[in-house]
Amino acid sequence: MNPLVSIAFRNLLRARRRNLLSGGTMALGTAALVLGGGLSDGIARQLTASLIAVQTGHLQVVVRQADFEPQNSPFDAYGQALIPDSAALAARIVAGAGGAGVRRAVPFLHGRGTAIAGNRSSLATVVGILPQEEVELRAAHPADAGAFLPLDDPLATYVAAPIARKLRLGIGDTVSFVIQTPQGAVNSVDAVVCGIFRKGAPWYDTTFYLPLATAQALFDHPGAATNIKMTLADGSSAAARDARPVVAAIVGQPPGLEPDERARVETFEEAGRFSFSIIQANQTALAVLSGFLFLAAAVGIVNSMLMSVHERTREIGTVRALGMRRAMVVRLFILEGLALGMVAAATGIAVGAAGVLYYGARGIPMDTMTLAWVAGGDHLFPVLTVTNVARAALAIAGLSTAAAVYPAITASRLEPREALHHI
Amino acid sequence: MLALLLVLALSPEALPTGAVLPTVSAAPAAAPTADTILRRADRAVLGENATYTLQMTVVRPGKPDRVVEMKGWKKGDSLGLVRYTAPAKERGTAYLRNAGNTWLYLPSGEKVVRVGAKQNFGGGDFSNADIFRLSLINDYVPTLVGEEPLEGQPCYKLELKAKDRSVAYDRVVYWVRSDGTFYPVRAEYYTISGRRMKWLTLAEIGRLGSRARPTRLTMESALEQGSRTVLRFLAITDDVKLDDRMFTPSALERGE
Repeated sequence: MNPLVSIAFRNLLRARRRNLLSGGTMALGTAALVLGGGLSDGIARQLTASLIAVQTGHLQVVVRQADFEPQNSPFDAYGQALIPDSAALAARIVAGAGGAGVRRAVPFLHGRGTAIAGNRSSLATVVGILPQEEVELRAAHPADAGAFLPLDDPLATYVAAPIARKLRLGIGDTVSFVIQTPQGAVNSVDAVVCGIFRKGAPWYDTTFYLPLATAQALFDHPGAATNIKMTLADGSSAAARDARPVVAAIVGQPPGLEPDERARVETFEEAGRFSFSIIQANQTALAVLSGFLFLAAAVGIVNSMLMSVHERTREIGTVRALGMRRAMVVRLFILEGLALGMVAAATGIAVGAAGVLYYGARGIPMDTMTLAWVAGGDHLFPVLTVTNVARAALAIAGLSTAAAVYPAITASRLEPREALHHI
Repeated sequence: MLALLLVLALSPEALPTGAVLPTVSAAPAAAPTADTILRRADRAVLGENATYTLQMTVVRPGKPDRVVEMKGWKKGDSLGLVRYTAPAKERGTAYLRNAGNTWLYLPSGEKVVRVGAKQNFGGGDFSNADIFRLSLINDYVPTLVGEEPLEGQPCYKLELKAKDRSVAYDRVVYWVRSDGTFYPVRAEYYTISGRRMKWLTLAEIGRLGSRARPTRLTMESALEQGSRTVLRFLAITDDVKLDDRMFTPSALERGE
């Protein structure tokens, strides 16, 4: 080991209490960065996974009005108009865009109406799906009671826990749906609850899943869907962007649309603007908090190092009188800053990572509606990533080293003669 | 005497309030066509142009009844206006129907918003379309399926089929008195899937304004047991002259 590095580490032990306080502050800062990053990454992962599994896939086909303006709501991803003959279009996409990485194309139908059970009623989101194709959705909305939609029961419904509670629905209970079809007529159907899924993002709280054919009959549009969601072999944003023109060429402008309606192919990032705006807001908040944290830590480090220079003025005078060059003095103090940063970063990462792993396994309850909207679920599961840990470690070590520069230069400028007279 | 009975049978509005109408016609006649029955029934409660005062009672199980009073204006088959007059906290709320569009004015928001024709009217079981559906003949093709007594009255039974899928209820079964009054007695509304969603009962024939007519309309929902909404006409004036300008969103906002 370089003797200067060894001296730097040894010097840390000479002022244990002061360095413990400075290092402790930095360690706490590192832990906060790791935890904050874990929370931010957890929110991003939850929102993105839920968006892709439940709403958009990696790429989706929707029909929008020509003057469609996104409302920055979690429902923006759903199509406002119907795609006629959706199953045939989905089959054409899979056949024609396999080379672009499209593995699956699944139509679904999203609409709103009223759910009625006994004397209770509530606004309901009715989603018609193909149960055999919805692998990701099934994982995203696991059953708390009963089971997912069976393949052979056209009158089964899979219900979100909050609305099941509101309507006092249990497995085997009958619920009536009354909706207004896109053309304006009223229609209704009865279904039997086959399963109740765990509460997820609050915007799914009123969801009832029905078999696609039943929902199509309910909305009086056999064969139609509001969305066709696609799963790609490579689920990255870049792969979705690359596949989009291939799919768009296959979709074209399907027959049967109104003159002001356009079929659009959207990546999950375009379709899920709401989720990504939450992710971006979280990341911005984390960056601002990190900035303040860094500033506070930097002031602490500079103060600690200046104290160190002051306490060691005679020592610096002695080593300078013995021939140590100014550059060497600078290097020594900077190395001390780096050493302090490294020890603090290691401690902070250990504490922060332990916290992330603990809460990542148990989840943090998001008890209020606001928290649940921000986190995209009633629990937040932080995620520990190498990138996040490395970023925190480098940031603290770098900050500690940079903060040592000014005290190091101050130390190097001491004249040996004056320094030796320092009491 | 016979002449007097004939006059009464042909002009039920000439009867005093609460009078029992004769159920035996002077001579057997061919049943009117389904179209004729429906057209006559359409005008049995309110005439072409009318003003009226209405009390609406919304009954919900386990909750106190909600009673609202309102004043309404109707002109032809496309213009209608209703303003709440009581209770005080809801006074000023108004609904307007003009050429297929429905607007709601809430005084608290001082804003006119467009609402769906199929939305509930005033939180009851009637939809805006039910309140302002001024004639069924415009939306439905009627078929006379027979005659059967209902509520102790001989009735024509009509099957009404929606002319297109934009009409709220795909099918309506409609009973209209066959004693020459053409008072509607009952209407049952069915969804596309064939489910009976709600039914309307028209009762309490009484003299309001210049003639007798059903004065109490009760709408019940098949899906919400025990819930119902009762409309009771308190006063009606037929054949009034109304200015088209009062049936505009801007007039609604100004409270005219």
